[in-house]
Amino acid sequence: MRTGIFFCQAQDNMNLNIDSIAKYSANLPEVETVQILRPKPLPGIDFIRGQIKSNRLERIVLAGDMPGYFKPVFTKAVALTGGNTDEIRLASFQEHGAKGENAMDRAKAIVACAVMGIPFSLAAVPGGNPVNHATLIIGGGIAGIQSALEIANAGKQVYLTEQTGTIGGHMAMFDKTFPTLDCAACILTPKMVSVGQHEMIRLLTKSNVVAVSGKPGAYRVKIKQKARFVDVKSCVACNVCAEVCPVKVKSEFDAGISLRKAIYIPFPQAVPNAYLVDETSCTYILSEGQKCGACMKKCPKECIDLNEKDKTIDIEVGNIILATGYEFLDVGKIEQYGYGVYPNVLTSIEFERLTNASGTTGGRIVTKTRVIDKKTGKEQWIFSPEGIPPKSVALIHCVGSRNKKYNPYCSRVCCMYSLKFAHLLKEKVPSVNVYEFYIDMRAFGKGYEEFAERIKQEGTFVVRGHSASVAMKDGQMIVRGEDIFNDRLVEFDVDMVVLAVGLIPSKGTEEISRLLGVQRDSDGWFSELDYNGSPTDTDKGGIYVAGMCQAPKDIPDTVAQASAVAAGVLRSLTSGKGIGHMSSLSLSEIESRAKKIHAI
Amino acid sequence: MAIRVNPTFIDDLDRYGAEDVQLCYQCGDCSTVCPHADDMYIFPRKSMRFLQMGLEQKIETTLEPWLCYYCGQCSIQCPREADPGETMMSLRRWLISRYDFTGIARKFFKSRLTEILTIIAVAVITAVFLIYYGFSGGNITIYDGEGAFLPSGFIHRFDLSVGAVLLIFLIANAIHMWYLVMIKGTDYPVPWWIYIKQLYQLPWHFFTQKRYSECEKKHEHPVFMPWLIHLGLMLGYVTMLVLVMVFIEQLQAGPEIRWQVHIFGYLATIGLLAGTFYFIRNRIRKNYVQYKKSHGTDWVFVILLFYIVVTGILQHLFHRIGLNVAANITYVLHLMGVVPWLLRMPFCKWSHLIYRPLAMYFAEIRREAAARQESIIQSVPVLIK
Repeated sequence: MRTGIFFCQAQDNMNLNIDSIAKYSANLPEVETVQILRPKPLPGIDFIRGQIKSNRLERIVLAGDMPGYFKPVFTKAVALTGGNTDEIRLASFQEHGAKGENAMDRAKAIVACAVMGIPFSLAAVPGGNPVNHATLIIGGGIAGIQSALEIANAGKQVYLTEQTGTIGGHMAMFDKTFPTLDCAACILTPKMVSVGQHEMIRLLTKSNVVAVSGKPGAYRVKIKQKARFVDVKSCVACNVCAEVCPVKVKSEFDAGISLRKAIYIPFPQAVPNAYLVDETSCTYILSEGQKCGACMKKCPKECIDLNEKDKTIDIEVGNIILATGYEFLDVGKIEQYGYGVYPNVLTSIEFERLTNASGTTGGRIVTKTRVIDKKTGKEQWIFSPEGIPPKSVALIHCVGSRNKKYNPYCSRVCCMYSLKFAHLLKEKVPSVNVYEFYIDMRAFGKGYEEFAERIKQEGTFVVRGHSASVAMKDGQMIVRGEDIFNDRLVEFDVDMVVLAVGLIPSKGTEEISRLLGVQRDSDGWFSELDYNGSPTDTDKGGIYVAGMCQAPKDIPDTVAQASAVAAGVLRSLTSGKGIGHMSSLSLSEIESRAKKIHAI
Repeated sequence: MAIRVNPTFIDDLDRYGAEDVQLCYQCGDCSTVCPHADDMYIFPRKSMRFLQMGLEQKIETTLEPWLCYYCGQCSIQCPREADPGETMMSLRRWLISRYDFTGIARKFFKSRLTEILTIIAVAVITAVFLIYYGFSGGNITIYDGEGAFLPSGFIHRFDLSVGAVLLIFLIANAIHMWYLVMIKGTDYPVPWWIYIKQLYQLPWHFFTQKRYSECEKKHEHPVFMPWLIHLGLMLGYVTMLVLVMVFIEQLQAGPEIRWQVHIFGYLATIGLLAGTFYFIRNRIRKNYVQYKKSHGTDWVFVILLFYIVVTGILQHLFHRIGLNVAANITYVLHLMGVVPWLLRMPFCKWSHLIYRPLAMYFAEIRREAAARQESIIQSVPVLIK
């Protein structure tokens, strides 16, 4: 077919040298003419007709960043000259990812495919590396659990690494999920148990990835598993060791609002259901075997070995899924809310643990009680089940989120969980007054808007206006805000303030991105390959992202993304074509493949 | 009543210094932390909103910009870094140009060059006039008494005529402000006796600047510092103005120091010198949020005032130690600063000396009138169909 190529570049693309692409494409077979058009003025219809007639063109290729913009005038011209309008082919550089290092090669390949009349995606199939059928999942939250189950249920080996002593992540700490107010543990714990019992899943708790080498499809990963000091298989979680342990520290699982021992189980439903020792606080380990050791003596199963050493595990996997999750912004640095100064200013996760039936107060919502430490004589504020329920509570949205000083982005879940808190407060303490201070109510999901409406009808005072000050006056906390809809300033006496704290990537994210060579965006979250087209892939082949570590998202979205990742992994395992990566394809590979298809 | 929207209003304000208003997303943090915002006057968020919507007619009748003393809390807190404090400052500049019916203030605020050229032109004309007068009737080696270069009686008449021009403009602008705020902007009746009842507000706020002192409580400044300095500067300024306008002949009577008059002059000089020095230093250092962005008119204001104070001190010194020629030359230089300064008053930042107490006065009148209106409405039973 006699082909004419028209370069229609709407704006300058710094990566692409159009002249050099034009030179290359002039040498392609059956190309009669190559024209570089300027966007202004638009090419005239007479000019195009003249070109078609003089070169007797049968196929026209429009190349550029957005060539579709010019298509109508060419269609008209071809129709007027009596040609086949289906033979107008677009070679879109932007759409097919001609950017970055290989932009020029990619652009040339795109033009070549268009000239031969072959869809680019058919010719450019990365291929080749044989795939190891094992998969590594980093992070044992709901995303990691969901992916692990999906892949393992398909009969493939999964390694699930988790930094802490139990899987479950943040979701295990939650009481209810929005907007359905389902019990979070009822959804999560069966999944956790099946992860623990699954024969295709090898669970590595207290583990960190320390080195990764290899190429897509065959990664060699070195994992460092810290000593747990308790034999998982023989521990029956009888709690004798914790009873004799003299050390008390703040519980991570309870977000610091209750105490645990140095030998502990994070929560009763933990998987694996065994105790572990915190090596940073255990007297025996800190004194290198000189003191204490009471738990070792008392354990009826004799499964505690405080002299256990860390070990490293080498595994080979084909795919790696990142599900490293998130953590909360340090709200202490946002001074105006008085967190850490006034006892009853809580972060959202602390409130979540307070209202949780498995929490320290058994689910009663109370204000903190003052106790005097007998030994040191210092006063402390703690939650006790006998505490006084609050008469009024302020919930402040967007603490550190959508704020240029802290997180410029929206953390996406805070509006909804604050509404959920309002509901839980009204449910558990019927006489309470709840004030919600919000900037914009972002109730975007299925059933969310209805949930927000329902909360308003329950009698929560929803104040459109942010509060930026929490003050103490004669022992009474005062929250000041502007009620914008009613055009007045408001001041409420409150007993408790709950801050909807912004989310940031978890601590290890930077380390992981350095180990694996995965890009991160300006806010620190992992970058996906294409936000719309492939939201689970990364720019490295065989590495995927799931859940919060890509961007803040709620539980339904996290689970959906985790399942989508599993589909991607299984595709690479079952298609038999192996994993490669688009960026590793060279021009000649695409060309030869295109020729092969063209010949058929 | 329908309100006309001016869609380019926000772009106009850019020239007055409000550059980031579009960033505001109406969270209300600024109103929350503002020590002056109350139920009747909620700002700066509301003013930002009016600006974003281009409600020029609404803004020109508001008093909120004058109730703000720019402590900078709002700009520190603003999550969008939209700088509400600077917006209020630029709204004050805009209001000064709005109250001024001649349009000169608008030109000054919008173009640095126009302002500086005008000042230089007025200074040169003043110098030419004074030197011509001095040489036609006096001797440059004589400072006071018979045959003086610039006799104090003449300077007195000269000052009074400049002061009269100034006063005419100021009164006209104040009346314009009253019209905009109390007639156009107040949609409930204001009985005359409220004007008289609240009259004490004028001297009270003029001489104490109490609201400014309320600004500083939560701030990083040394205790009450900007308020004290500002008060000292203002009192010094007013004292000096009175001395120059009324008591110039006693002040310039001879080389000897008359303590009953001069003590005021010295106190005023201390206030002026400390004030100008403090504000210039802060504007150069930019260590507090309110001094981070300096509009051109701010610089002209402090530098010209500093120049006048320094030349005034020098002239005084030369006169007392007997260097009459030097004293006469510095006197001319001093007046070259003073005359443009005085004539510029109604069109520049200085005029807030009048507008601020007026605004407090009007604000209290409005507040009382609104409360009265409210009670009237509530006492009359309304039939709701």
